[in-house]
Amino acid sequence: MPKVTIDHQVYEFEGRPKALQFCLDHGIELPHFCYHPAMSIPANCRECLIEVGMPAIDRETRQPKLDKDGNPVIRFMPKLMTSCSQDLADGMVIRTHRTSEKVARAQQDTLEFLLINHPLDCPICDQAGHCPLQIQAYKYGPEGSRFEFRKVRKPKHIKLGPRVMLDGERCINCTRCVRFTDEISKSRQLTIIERGVRNYPITPPGVTFDDPYSMNVIDICPVGALTSIDFRFKARIWEMSSAPSITTTNAKGSNCHYWVKDNLVLRITARPNAAVNDYWLPDEDRLDYHRFNENRPDGPRIDGRPATWDEAYARAAEVLRSVPGEGILFLGSAHATVEDNYLLTKLAKALGADVPRYIPHVEPGHGDGWLRTDDRTPNAEGCRRLGIEPVDEAMIRAKMEAGEIKAVYALEDDPVAAGLFSAEALANVPVILHPYHTTNETLPVTDVALPAAMVVETVGTYVNCDGHAQRVRPAKAIRDVNRTLVLEMDKGRPDKHGTPFDRWHHEDHQVNCRPSWVSLPAVAQKAGHPMPYKGPKYIMAELARTDPAFSGATYEAMGLSGVRLESVGEAV
Amino acid sequence: MADFIKHPEVPLPDLDPAPSFSEEELVFTEEERAQIAEYVRRYPTADGAVMRALWLAQEKFGFLPPEVIRLVAETLGIPYAQAYGVATFYTQYYKQKKGRYVLDVCTSFSCQLCGGYDMLHYLEEQLGIQKGETTEDGLFTLQEVECLGACGSAPMLQVTNGPYVFNLTPEKLDALLEDLRAGKMPAFTSVTLPQDEDEMGGNRRSDAPQSAVYETPPVARTLE
Ligand code: SF4
Ligand code: FES
Ligand code: FES
Repeated sequence: MPKVTIDHQVYEFEGRPKALQFCLDHGIELPHFCYHPAMSIPANCRECLIEVGMPAIDRETRQPKLDKDGNPVIRFMPKLMTSCSQDLADGMVIRTHRTSEKVARAQQDTLEFLLINHPLDCPICDQAGHCPLQIQAYKYGPEGSRFEFRKVRKPKHIKLGPRVMLDGERCINCTRCVRFTDEISKSRQLTIIERGVRNYPITPPGVTFDDPYSMNVIDICPVGALTSIDFRFKARIWEMSSAPSITTTNAKGSNCHYWVKDNLVLRITARPNAAVNDYWLPDEDRLDYHRFNENRPDGPRIDGRPATWDEAYARAAEVLRSVPGEGILFLGSAHATVEDNYLLTKLAKALGADVPRYIPHVEPGHGDGWLRTDDRTPNAEGCRRLGIEPVDEAMIRAKMEAGEIKAVYALEDDPVAAGLFSAEALANVPVILHPYHTTNETLPVTDVALPAAMVVETVGTYVNCDGHAQRVRPAKAIRDVNRTLVLEMDKGRPDKHGTPFDRWHHEDHQVNCRPSWVSLPAVAQKAGHPMPYKGPKYIMAELARTDPAFSGATYEAMGLSGVRLESVGEAV
Repeated sequence: MADFIKHPEVPLPDLDPAPSFSEEELVFTEEERAQIAEYVRRYPTADGAVMRALWLAQEKFGFLPPEVIRLVAETLGIPYAQAYGVATFYTQYYKQKKGRYVLDVCTSFSCQLCGGYDMLHYLEEQLGIQKGETTEDGLFTLQEVECLGACGSAPMLQVTNGPYVFNLTPEKLDALLEDLRAGKMPAFTSVTLPQDEDEMGGNRRSDAPQSAVYETPPVARTLE
């Protein structure tokens, strides 16, 4: 296998990797700005410089020349090379800043240049704290600047489009944002204009940066030049904690981080996963956080009046016991996790009811063949694999009219808003509901409301439209202390140090709701059908063991990037 | 440029300008389209022809407002943003309407030493405008530019992205203004190297038939 020597250490490599990516893959940090693994390599920031040498070849013998100790003579290129664009070759010798004074100096000087016209406004910049320019300037940059002239002033707080704000002065012209619209989202709405110290990226006149994926440029901008109009100045990065999870606006299940301060989700950023969404998120996924914070319920209710959880569970069990099993309509939910839906099927079975159905939320034409799908729910595929099919509306309504439905038990959904039943139709049957919001239109006719934890508050599994099973983790705390949730949350913090704004620190904004994998077994227990699970992890382990449709989908295996399940039956 | 050093401010372009040309005016003729197609054929991809096509558009429309840049991009089938980026990169593409004659006076190093600023200020006085401005009759725009690569014949200026005028003196400028007012562009002058003077009549350009020959000033003996 070909070999390359980096800072006196020999590595083997395959194919034609670039030096920078190879170093990063092997834990050697090289400063860089313009390089992004998913896009073309313009090598324009000049921060990733290295020294590159090749063994000298003897013209006559065509063999490598050896010095007196028998080591090959290395001929270094006269100038430093940009590692991002440098192909590795057999026998190549590379010196990074760790062994080369020249490289360290060059990186420092490049940074000094990059900072010449930079406003150095980190104290008021949203990017501060996770800014590649800030971090690398501290690590590799000069102590100070020797530039004594006026800095160039460029346009600031320019709305490029409805969601992205530009600060031209902070830009280092790495062109990542332009390349994103050219190569990834293909909207081609951005360009770098002007030249020299005057240039910065912008839309051409008459064009609005309304790309449905526009906010990805905020993630990839290595400085604070592009910020989110929605999130600007809402919180400092170090005041928030983040949890790796997935988005739930559609069936793709793109990987994301939920950022939380004081138990409020304030922003959503992309989390790389080559099997699902690469590095990207659609804008609609990023802006889909208000529903986690607003109109959340305050504890369970019986006939619209506040109740304790125990009272509510008892009342629900009473309702279930009071009607014949076949008369209960169980509605699963494509918003709920596999675990919750599985528990619902078990409860339905134990009571002798039909297999639950779910209400599909499909919006034809919404999908774009990339990270947006027509299906606006995250777990239709998970339901299908559990044997939960979409409801046959006509049939169910007919049954309701014929009085065959004696009670409705609906998991995390809204049958009235979805148009399945009118509120009047439900007025005369007892309804048990696990709602997310106080605005749920089924609530007025609900007998027992057991508020459910949303994706940012629970532990569970979702299966995306391609059969990729992925775990979600709690990003914020709910009112109840639950050991499983606390343990999972702990793992969500990369630095392990709390901040005064941490999600467990404050009682504020802790919603009084419970995951359905807590409520369902509690109801089942009271109805005389105990479900002794220690938590969702064990539910999933059972499914992975017993149901071929979920084979292999244990929590350990899913980890942070999920598991691709075997396909079963026809796709929905 | 000097102003930019004192007040280094980059303005935001008007992102929603009123168009300078009507829909009817914004078309290329058959011949122009054929010419652009011919340019495209010279390059592996259509974006290679963007500079020539922009140039053609500038000759036709006089300058390149956004709608003309968009027309060029659409004709080439390349992103409008890309064409706009190219057009703003080069100062020779005029994004604003200019005078009929644009006088680009070089004030870079060599020209500056040989009196480039004197020439610039002389023109300012003669035309009654400041650099960067256009005379009221719309005839002249005066601009200060960076090195145009004719440092050996400093100070110099260029007329409307075209012929160079070398070794400027106030008298030469007077004559130039008079000619231009009479609609007479200066002839293309070939800058020669001493060794070329005997060949090709000193004219190194085969595409400019009618041209004056610029004599290399005497070289100091000591340099030989
Ligand atoms: S705005 Fe950000 S991503 Fe775009 S060129 Fe500037 S620094 Fe790069
Ligand atoms: S990362 Fe290599 S030049 Fe920018
Ligand atoms: S300095 Fe004026 S042409 Fe070079």
